[in-house]
Amino acid sequence: MTFKEKNIAVSLVSFSLIMGILLVAVFSMVLSDNFTSTNVFRLWGITIVLAIVFTITATILTHIITAIIEAIRTGNEDPEIEDLEDERDKLIDLKGTRVTYVVSSIGVFLAMLTYVFGQPALVMFTLLIFVGVLAQIIGDITRLILYRRGF
Amino acid sequence: MGKSGVSNNIRKLRFFEDEMTQEELAKKVGVTRQTIIAIEKGKYSPSLELAFRIAYVFDSPLEEVFFYNPKNDPV
Repeated sequence: MTFKEKNIAVSLVSFSLIMGILLVAVFSMVLSDNFTSTNVFRLWGITIVLAIVFTITATILTHIITAIIEAIRTGNEDPEIEDLEDERDKLIDLKGTRVTYVVSSIGVFLAMLTYVFGQPALVMFTLLIFVGVLAQIIGDITRLILYRRGF
Repeated sequence: MGKSGVSNNIRKLRFFEDEMTQEELAKKVGVTRQTIIAIEKGKYSPSLELAFRIAYVFDSPLEEVFFYNPKNDPV
């Protein structure tokens, strides 16, 4: 597994975790009758902050752990980590981003449809953040599949 | 490369270059080893620039490294 693949796998785990937190938070809000605008917008804030913090931490941790494993494996105190990004990496990244955009566009459309069909705006906003995280997860899965297949 | 109709002789050329490793070739052309593996297996078609760089490493004309087989081309 290359460094890029490890990074994507860690991002996938991070966003799956965020999705889990999001689902638990929304369901507990609905069950305890706390599905209010204040709570939903706080959840938006928490999700975005978590996504940023998780992404940065995951990248740093992947670098450190890869370096430690390489140092143990090769016995070299200053191991060389292959974090070079070539044309294939860029194309895989682009394809993943395209999938992310398609999923989020469909999701935004569906979220707006719920509002059109008479659901409260809070449902639309909750679906929007849910779709954003889901799109990122599907984009990461696409990238991993492309790396595993070769392209 | 089954998908595009472009095949290559990189494996053979590496053999004739003192069994040059994929890692060595990757370093010489500035890509990752995984990209060389994907090109060799015909799963990824390199850009024209990378194709020329690979041909340059083997000191061969481009058509000796990569060749087009219309029978494999789905278009």
